[in-house]
Amino acid sequence: MAKSDDCVHILQGLLVFGNVVIGMCGIALTAECIYFVSSPNGHYPLLKVTEDSDINAAAWIGIFVGLALFALSILGIIGVIKASRTLLLVYIILMLITFAFEMASCITAASHQDSLTPQLFLKQMLERYQKSEPANNSDNEVTKTWDELMLQNHCCGVLGPSDWQEYTSAFRLTHSDADYPWPRMCCVLNAQGLPDNLDGCKLGVPGYYNSNGCYDAISGPVNTHAWGVAWFGFAILCWTFCVLLGTMFYWSGIEY
Amino acid sequence: LPTPPARLPYVPHVPPMALLGKVTATTFALERPCCVFNGHADVSDTVWLVVAFANASATFRNPLSLADVPPYKQLPTAHSYMTLGTAAASYSCSAPSPPVLRVGGDTACRDQGRQDPCNGPLPSPGPYRVKFLLMGCRGPKAETCWSEPILLRRAASPSTINPVPTRRGSAVVVIASILASLGAVLVTTVLGALGAKMWGSLCHQDLGTNAFIRRSYRTHHIPPALPQPLPLSSGYNPPGLCCSVLQPPAPC
Repeated sequence: MAKSDDCVHILQGLLVFGNVVIGMCGIALTAECIYFVSSPNGHYPLLKVTEDSDINAAAWIGIFVGLALFALSILGIIGVIKASRTLLLVYIILMLITFAFEMASCITAASHQDSLTPQLFLKQMLERYQKSEPANNSDNEVTKTWDELMLQNHCCGVLGPSDWQEYTSAFRLTHSDADYPWPRMCCVLNAQGLPDNLDGCKLGVPGYYNSNGCYDAISGPVNTHAWGVAWFGFAILCWTFCVLLGTMFYWSGIEY
Repeated sequence: LPTPPARLPYVPHVPPMALLGKVTATTFALERPCCVFNGHADVSDTVWLVVAFANASATFRNPLSLADVPPYKQLPTAHSYMTLGTAAASYSCSAPSPPVLRVGGDTACRDQGRQDPCNGPLPSPGPYRVKFLLMGCRGPKAETCWSEPILLRRAASPSTINPVPTRRGSAVVVIASILASLGAVLVTTVLGALGAKMWGSLCHQDLGTNAFIRRSYRTHHIPPALPQPLPLSSGYNPPGLCCSVLQPPAPC
């Protein structure tokens, strides 16, 4: 009898520990998703305009799942210590629902990473940058975002300045190819914001224009966030799986 | 009859160095010919650039005087024009000038329609052929060979860009498959446990030798009861017990 007591206490201890970890991870997931949703890095207008706000939905789900995990972990700790069948059954069922939501969020975040191809941003940039009659405010935001992006990161276009040469664009409709092979923001600017050497920039002389594309600068932060939401959620779910299995084993051993 | 212009062996060409804008949709760049007109050019001569469509270069006739120079706006009809008229001194051996000439870089003269030789943007992708012509007071004095056909860039429409990713990343597959299998295991376990409980309660059976079947997990440790000693009163003397307690009467 003493040996089974020890086994029970060990199982209880493990389950309490598991639930504590779940609670802390839930708080961490909520914090991470809140940070992502309110992220100050400023590429958000580009993503919003792509109308592919899956990562945003995944982050919002992550916030609520994190809070739910925290609350359920407390419920689980109470249920394990009191060995109450009802509480543990409620805990298991609610945890399964939370598991399903978090699974959806992870898969969405992971597949969202794939959808952020350079072609997506290229098409958006060509169709909206410096659009002469902006249909709505988002076109202005796209132009502003791209200007800031190209200025701060010393880059041009998505893959390079040749984006503006290979494709026609809204920019090309208002700016002639001879004067503006690519936007002025692609030129190396001096302190006053004017090109250092305009002819050199137009000809593409190395040193007077920015030759690399902005895709890395865009996709870097977004990918980090998507990885954070997707893989951290995945890790939490694997741990939750183990804790739930242990809880079910414990629950089936309780007898009224 | 005026003497035919001297034929110089120089072939105009697009500069070989890596310049991203050397050929755009309406402009192109040429390497500046240095030292080519040495020996033929006087101080007062000018060097012109003849631009013609590639299929019209064979039929181009050099203008006999400066007044016959075909202007830029004749390009659609005459299929050729001359531009970039500069003093021959800028093409001499020691001239410190930029190594590249840009054809088509002047949008102002196209819009304002000035009569001066205009280096306006080219209206179509071409292909074009160019040659340099040294003009003196009495007519052309020397000319270079025709260049190879120069084809300008053609831009595609952005609607041809396909933003859909070509293949699914492995991360999605891994996450989806592992999580789906974990979820399935959990649901199966829950349903199995619930089903087993209901089956057990329906059949009124014990659930087997579970090591910790108990009402609650607080153990009640009941120590075995110790035998209580019987209380002895002074008057009690059960029959059959030894008589050592009472004294016998005195002997007679």
